[in-house]
Amino acid sequence: MSRDELNPRELEELAVLDLILAREPVGEEHLELAALVDSVRAGAPTMAPAFAQRLDAQLEALERRRRFGWLRDGRPRVRRLALAGGGLVAAAVAFTIVISSGVLGGSSPQPLPGALHNFSGAAVATPTHASAGGAASAAPRAAVGNSTAAGVALLGPQALPVGGSGRLVERRSTLTLATTPATLQRVANQIVTATEQEGGVVANSNIAVQGSASYADFELKVPSGHLAPLISTLSGLASVRGLNQTTDDITDGYDQERALLADREAERASLLKQLAAAATTASETSLQQKLDRVEERIAAEHHAIDALLTEGHTAVLYVDVVPGASTKHSAVGPLGTAFNRALHALEEILAIALIALAIALPFALCALALWWAGSGIRQRARERAMRTA
Amino acid sequence: MTAIAALPTGGPGASEQFEQLYRSSAGDVYAYVASLLRDRAAAEDVTALAFERAFRRRALFDIRRGTPRSWLFAIARNAALDELRRRRRTGSLLHDVADEATTEDDDLDGELAERRLLVRDGLASLEPRDREVILLKFVGRLSNAELARVLRCSESNAGTRLHRAIERLREACGVTR
Repeated sequence: MSRDELNPRELEELAVLDLILAREPVGEEHLELAALVDSVRAGAPTMAPAFAQRLDAQLEALERRRRFGWLRDGRPRVRRLALAGGGLVAAAVAFTIVISSGVLGGSSPQPLPGALHNFSGAAVATPTHASAGGAASAAPRAAVGNSTAAGVALLGPQALPVGGSGRLVERRSTLTLATTPATLQRVANQIVTATEQEGGVVANSNIAVQGSASYADFELKVPSGHLAPLISTLSGLASVRGLNQTTDDITDGYDQERALLADREAERASLLKQLAAAATTASETSLQQKLDRVEERIAAEHHAIDALLTEGHTAVLYVDVVPGASTKHSAVGPLGTAFNRALHALEEILAIALIALAIALPFALCALALWWAGSGIRQRARERAMRTA
Repeated sequence: MTAIAALPTGGPGASEQFEQLYRSSAGDVYAYVASLLRDRAAAEDVTALAFERAFRRRALFDIRRGTPRSWLFAIARNAALDELRRRRRTGSLLHDVADEATTEDDDLDGELAERRLLVRDGLASLEPRDREVILLKFVGRLSNAELARVLRCSESNAGTRLHRAIERLREACGVTR
């Protein structure tokens, strides 16, 4: 039998006690208990009439203050507000997740993981080791350019880089985006910004805003390692119509150029030795002419090697922005665009709210823990006061 | 044993139900608090404070966590224990209410008066925890479930504590069965 368990006789006595307190009749064997209850109750202090009147008046005053709104029950409101706030935050989190995952129709930018999927209606071609200018490769376009950036050396051309396994790979991609004429200029600006953020430059660009005939095209040069993130970012700016990627392994050409350079340098060394040992003026002149030609070839080889390294380090991305029924914006018309913008704004607000929540939550939990600990400590102190009373 | 079933959280009936709870419990709450504190003035202050707290918090009352009466006694108990803590800190003197009550017993017949005096002394000699259980049950007229709610223990534990306290009171009063 545990400490809390009572035997049947004791349980019966407790039941009888309840009857006595309810002024129900009990058997003679329980009259002693009834007398005990009666004595305790009779000995209990009673309220003085004056105090009873004061207490009545006090509660009436409280009731009056409540009726006139001077007395507010703050805590229930706080609880309701906390519940409502919690619900709102939960809804915000769910809504943000839904929006971010694009369930509502892809109104928000959708990055392309790996840059080759996750968009609808886009033609994708990713030939590897295709020759430059092959069927699947994007045709390098002429610079129609209103603006032309100078060619760039984005990385130092010293190390053999890039494509896996130490191969030198040239990368060219073509991305076709569709957006409404109204948003074309904004998208164009965002393309430039995104390119700069990825450490690239706009080599050529051509933008024309003329209603339904609006278009924009860009030739972007970006460090090869930043090509995929850039495509991913740009794919989020408008509806992706097509993506074409070409890679061309130029390692063999690079090796050949290096071998040629080594031969020329050996030839130059040999000519220099002969020149130093030349006995006649005629032979000196002949050797000097040969040396000059070799020097020119060496310079040309260096230039070719540098060009190959630049191609390997730098990826070229052609971006066409065309007007059309964008699945992201334009397909839904001006109202839809406004709705999408509103959703985007809401998404950003919710993101800020989530950040605020993430900051506030630890503090709230700490406060809750402190309150809980304080409550426990206070209650223990009360029990101690009872024991020592 | 419970005066009213529930205190609605607001609405037109809330005030009436609180009024009903007050009318049915005020005397018992005062008797419990005064017995605990053994000081009429302090008991009046604590009783008033308890009802004011209950009035202000009545919208927080949750029927799932006990009856209105147990809720009210829990508030009164906390207020009384806070008063005891305050006294312990400040070393306030007690003004025993039992001394004042003796005048009422003078009118009773000798045997009854003697028995009540015996019980009162027996009750005063009990451990505070036992005395409190007796007061909550006999004066507060709480059910064992309500008792458990006020004492923050299980119902079976409350029943055991109650029964043992009654036994000790009997021993203290020299009652044989």
